[in-house]
Amino acid sequence: MSIMSYNGGSIVAMVGKDCVAIASDLRLGNQALTIATNFEKVFPVTDRLYVGLPGLATDVVTLRERFRFRVNMYTIKEEREIEPETFAHLVSSTLYERRFGPYFVEPVIAGLEKGTNKPFIATTDLIGCLTLPKDFAVAGTASDKLFGVAEGLWEPDLEPEDLFETISQTLMNAVDRDAFSGWGAIVHLITPDQVITRTLKARMD
Amino acid sequence: MSPTVGPVSRDFNPYSDNGGTILAIAGEDFAVVAGDTRQSEGYNIQTRYAPKVFRLTDKAVLAVNGFAADGNMFVKKVKQRLEWYRHAHGKDMQLRAIARMIQTMLYAKRFFPYYVYNILGGIEEDGSGAVYSFDPVGSYEREACRAAGAAQSLVQPFLDNQIYFKNQTPAIDAPFPRHLPLSHVLSIVTDSFTSATERHIEVGDGLEIYIILAKGKTLSGLGLDGVKGLSEVTSTVDDSDGSASEGESLAEGERIFVLRRELKKD
Amino acid sequence: MECSFAITGKDYVLVASDTNAARSIIKMKSDEDKTKILSPHLVMTYSGEPGDTVQFAEYVERNIRLQHIRNIHELRPSSSAAWIRRSLADSLRSRHPYSVNLLLGGYDAATDTPKLYWIDYLGTLAEVPFAAHGYGSYFALSLLDRYHNPEASLEEGVATLKRCISEVQKRLVVNLETFKVRVVDKDGVREIEL
Repeated sequence: MSIMSYNGGSIVAMVGKDCVAIASDLRLGNQALTIATNFEKVFPVTDRLYVGLPGLATDVVTLRERFRFRVNMYTIKEEREIEPETFAHLVSSTLYERRFGPYFVEPVIAGLEKGTNKPFIATTDLIGCLTLPKDFAVAGTASDKLFGVAEGLWEPDLEPEDLFETISQTLMNAVDRDAFSGWGAIVHLITPDQVITRTLKARMD
Repeated sequence: MSPTVGPVSRDFNPYSDNGGTILAIAGEDFAVVAGDTRQSEGYNIQTRYAPKVFRLTDKAVLAVNGFAADGNMFVKKVKQRLEWYRHAHGKDMQLRAIARMIQTMLYAKRFFPYYVYNILGGIEEDGSGAVYSFDPVGSYEREACRAAGAAQSLVQPFLDNQIYFKNQTPAIDAPFPRHLPLSHVLSIVTDSFTSATERHIEVGDGLEIYIILAKGKTLSGLGLDGVKGLSEVTSTVDDSDGSASEGESLAEGERIFVLRRELKKD
Repeated sequence: MECSFAITGKDYVLVASDTNAARSIIKMKSDEDKTKILSPHLVMTYSGEPGDTVQFAEYVERNIRLQHIRNIHELRPSSSAAWIRRSLADSLRSRHPYSVNLLLGGYDAATDTPKLYWIDYLGTLAEVPFAAHGYGSYFALSLLDRYHNPEASLEEGVATLKRCISEVQKRLVVNLETFKVRVVDKDGVREIEL
């Protein structure tokens, strides 16, 4: 029994042309038993920056609360919104603080940089080691499946609606092969002037 | 008093995992069976060219993945049984009969199994393309497509999407095709392996794609004429350098071609 | 071998808990109330490690009461759930974690909505339409998938709850004779005799 797959759940984020998308499944389980099918794992940080937290559900909620607190403190002190790259480092240092008693979560970050609208995605492991991919980032119990499908479907410079289709297909087909993920999905598509959030009609088994 | 020797326990593991991935897709009148050629043990690459896909007859190709020693031995025994069949009956065994034979051969070693996943591809008696997939102890099933091996978890969901059109909705006046054309299947196979190579350390080096064509079907019109790395391996073609692109083959029945491609070596 | 259920319906939440107190294979008591009324519109079932359960439930009860007194206003269900969850999550990484699983049923008078939270000893929090803890969950959740109706009247809700209880009594090897059932709605918390 691995702690990382105790509750199940998966996240994927993808870069498009002047847009990014981040998506998650909605399952919360206790090992093989599904407890809830409305458990969101992706949370807004600012109105153009989102963070996905797959892993142990108690830590998902605790970290969401801690990140909200730290981002609020940053906003008050700096009198400006936090940038994606800065937030990624905040995530990294928050996790590394618990180097020898970690939060069992592998965050995925997706957002647009201010002014330039440059897409930004990042992932860290559970102790905060940052990775900054240029194409897509995956995490959770279906991460290997997500890697395979994303590697096959993703292409550079996707327009927002094409990016939405790509990330949705990637997520759904990956979680359908994972017993610990699925039971619905939600996608957030971040563009320079709006965030479009859609829940997907997916397999419920 | 002389020291007594108690029972000594020794720990010997007769199995190993040699990585790699195989994949097969059935078409309406053809089948495609592919595998990478890397053979590894842990982080060590033993060879960059160890075939995992084997021609059994002119209408059957077998891909074996898992423990290479068992895989090679198993293919050897299957070929031997097929030769005996030819001597006894003067013809090649049918595909579905080979599939059932593989089941009994695997189950015969139920309590010391061949540690291999088999995928059998070829042409049935009715001329349809077929894929049979097996577990190490002989459970099997006929399917339209299957991936197995190290990168199964990467490739299979991609195939679900691209072959079975899972999670896609057809346009009202355009239902999904039940079978894909060969050119389309070949590009899905190539994409699957380049993707798996990109993300899985045990997959790479080379790719061998076996194409089994039903009676009367040719490769013409696929843009494969004169392509480097394509050769015919039908038993009635002696030309070992494989002039697949030239003229008509002597073969009257099913034909088999191999398409060899390079994969990344890192 | 403890067992608790809860379901939401139209403007109410029903919670139920078995009434056995056991130590190892010995049944010590069969009329133990393993539910607690935390505030006028909040009720909680608790199960888990004997000792931890009552200790933690009373800790929660006193703190929710304290909030009520300080603010002259009861804490809303969502906020109560968040506070209780955080207590468990902090406890999990302490030297002596509480091993307590909870179902929290409440009625949010501000929005006139029934609320139900599933909380486990790790501090996992989920807002759900129906919930269960213990071995009973393996029977009840599938039944509730089939029969739960968020618009059901109290009578229909009780009937669904009875289905769950009788299934557990029929199929679980342990005999759970009696269940304490409470309902929370706009009028507060009250007990229901089955």
